[in-house]
Amino acid sequence: MSNLVYLMCSLPSLKFGQVPPISMDEFTEESKSQLSAKHFKKLEPVDIYQATDSEGKVSLKSIAVMLDEMKEDMAELRAAKAQRRTPGLARLPLAVVHANPLEREKLIMRWQWEELDTIVSGESFTLTEVMVYKLRLQILNRLNSFNKERGSQVLASVVNPPKKKEE
Amino acid sequence: MAGVKIKYTKTERARQKKILKVSLRMLPLFEAMEKSLMSTINTIAERIEEIRQEIDRNNRKAEPWVAVMSDSHVDITSFISVNKVITKHVDVAGVRVDQYEGVDFNVEPVQDDTPLWVDDAIELMKVQLQLMAEIDCLEEQIRLLEEELLDVRARIKLFENRRIPNAKTAIRKIGQKLQDDERLTIATAKVVKTSQKEGVMA
Repeated sequence: MSNLVYLMCSLPSLKFGQVPPISMDEFTEESKSQLSAKHFKKLEPVDIYQATDSEGKVSLKSIAVMLDEMKEDMAELRAAKAQRRTPGLARLPLAVVHANPLEREKLIMRWQWEELDTIVSGESFTLTEVMVYKLRLQILNRLNSFNKERGSQVLASVVNPPKKKEE
Repeated sequence: MAGVKIKYTKTERARQKKILKVSLRMLPLFEAMEKSLMSTINTIAERIEEIRQEIDRNNRKAEPWVAVMSDSHVDITSFISVNKVITKHVDVAGVRVDQYEGVDFNVEPVQDDTPLWVDDAIELMKVQLQLMAEIDCLEEQIRLLEEELLDVRARIKLFENRRIPNAKTAIRKIGQKLQDDERLTIATAKVVKTSQKEGVMA
């Protein structure tokens, strides 16, 4: 418990949309040094992009549920687009339907962030709070990776790759 | 014509007349071919410009969301690549070229948890790659047509500056020589006849 308190107090607070105040490596190092081996083992596989770890185990049920629901809504959005109909979303905000791809990703991440608020409410200095912190750091890292110039370069690298010289 | 020895015969004159006739008939054909090639090249260049504008329009349309393509979670470059550009042979202004038909893509299937923007990016990239492939085909067409245009222009120059003037000069010179020969023959015959008459009188 005291380790969790110390860890949570030493970590900078996170706000949606900000530049990540610490890197994922720094977080991992910090949590590894502060948490017990058992707690750290539980924390390690927690991932915002997958509900289960490599062995198929669920790290935190509420997160797995959130990710599954999001996946279902994403499948519904894809199906609705293919069938040219209005999607019926269960969890994601309706605004995602007409938003451009960047805004849509941001809206989904904002939704994830708010869902994490619900998951962590009432939790103080628990492992769940550390897990949610990690997930939020992942969200911020991803959000921060969106860059117009780099995105344009990626597009150009696919659409107009440098031509190979003829031998 | 300089340095070329002309045979001053009626056969040669007939041959030169034939060359002149064929050359005068061929020249307008080559001139028409030159016009057609130039017009085709211009049309293709205009089409390339149109496609470039379309590419720019698509890029501008994607500008508000292009930042998402640098997503650290997804490597979009692994989702799509060109397998093959499909073309067919056609004759354009008498030149055999490859006409753009379409593009065969290698597209990785998206999973349920693949971010939604990937679908949009693949769609955009497909359109842009198709347009780029069409430009490549059209540029190659222009290259081939310009090669042909150079050839046709060389032929026109040959007819205008060499064949037609040479044939005309040859016909004129042969005509003069044949006329001179004829006059000489008549004069000689008259002299012979006069001297014969004088011999008889004496």
